[in-house]
Amino acid sequence: MKLGVIDYGASNIFSVVRALNSLGASTIIVKKPEDFKNTDKLVFPGQGSMGACLKKLSENNLKDSLIDALNNYPFLGICLGLQILFSESEESKGEKGLNIFSEKIKKFSEFEDKSIKIPHMGWNQVEISQNHFLLEGIKTNEDFYFVHSFASKEANQNVIYSKTFHGEIFNSAVGKDNIFATQFHPEKSGKSGLKILKNFIDWKI
Amino acid sequence: MSVTIRIIPCLDVRNGRVVKGINFEDIVDAGDPAEAAKRYDIEGADEICMLDIDASYEARSTTLETVEKIANQVFIPFTVGGGIKSVQDVEVLLRSGADKVSINTSAILNPNLIEEASKEFGSQCIVVAIDAKFNGNNWSVYTHGGKNKTDLDALSWSKKVEQLGAGEILMTSMDKDGTKSGFDNNLNGFLAEKLNIPLIASGGAGELNHLVDAVKIGKADAVLAASIFHYKEISIRKVKEALKREGLEVRL
Repeated sequence: MKLGVIDYGASNIFSVVRALNSLGASTIIVKKPEDFKNTDKLVFPGQGSMGACLKKLSENNLKDSLIDALNNYPFLGICLGLQILFSESEESKGEKGLNIFSEKIKKFSEFEDKSIKIPHMGWNQVEISQNHFLLEGIKTNEDFYFVHSFASKEANQNVIYSKTFHGEIFNSAVGKDNIFATQFHPEKSGKSGLKILKNFIDWKI
Repeated sequence: MSVTIRIIPCLDVRNGRVVKGINFEDIVDAGDPAEAAKRYDIEGADEICMLDIDASYEARSTTLETVEKIANQVFIPFTVGGGIKSVQDVEVLLRSGADKVSINTSAILNPNLIEEASKEFGSQCIVVAIDAKFNGNNWSVYTHGGKNKTDLDALSWSKKVEQLGAGEILMTSMDKDGTKSGFDNNLNGFLAEKLNIPLIASGGAGELNHLVDAVKIGKADAVLAASIFHYKEISIRKVKEALKREGLEVRL
């Protein structure tokens, strides 16, 4: 296995790399198009705004290779790495996402209730909607760690793998064929998160 | 139901060792930080905080080594505070494995630091720590580990740092810190209802009910404590079970 971690230039990839390494996997940092050649599995840990991320991907000529990889081998998107798989985000209007999922990413609604704070930051329950190899060993409603202000609220039922409630329901994990993505951070979710990363390391398609 | 109340054990670290001092005197060695962090993770800590209490320039490389050691073993959010003066300091800590940094005195001396660091790395990783003491009228903010009184009051300073891009506030009551008589729920409750960012209560934990009250009465989103967890006076799990009995959301 040649496990690549995409470093598009504006994301803290270190915690993901540390977590994967602690599970015994060696990692290849993917910074330029030719780095993809050495990989057969990809993790995309994204941070910040979708527009800035897509811009960086284009600037560094990573976009075409990434689209190619998405068609070919196991892919795990984390946080913004989930959001860029959608067509568009309210965060960066006019910027086109990777369109694996045709819906839009939207901002959390604001609530009078002060306990519903934006960003959604902290541990929250993940209710599993359907089984997936990456969720093996995870019980429904276990807590995972989130940090985000935008979310997938709409998606086709058959691509939704888990849902979470933060003032409203959103999709906390989505997937399709060789692609799986979580809004939460498995690399920061203790034992349960490490289990998902381990499953990804073991995932064969 | 939404995010859980977070229980955050804090490690006071000097020269790569956990230390515990009584009012900054009689500092005693209390073990290896990475081992302690690992134990807290297993016990169910929601986050680990490490405070470099020495934070001298000479000791910086030791601090970074300690951060790295902890980050290699513990896969929950990890906040590091002490001696952060610039955006570069923030970057070095994040690269070494911190997920968030906690800025105190430097935020007061240079409020632009909050804005610059949150723009560069995101608000989610910028915690502003505030040390405050009741002056009979409101709560005065202090710098340099409680040594110097400023003209700022806790509420206006909190609102200001929120505006500048801080993602959380770590509020330490100097009146309560070290007393083991409970958190300053007046201070925390007063602030929490006026802030839009999470408030972490610190200072005063002595028994189980104190932590519960910090959430129920003080309206804190998270509770931080050092010695009661370090000396196993109270287990993290017990705290969470008590919170759950009160109908509060916790990660068990």
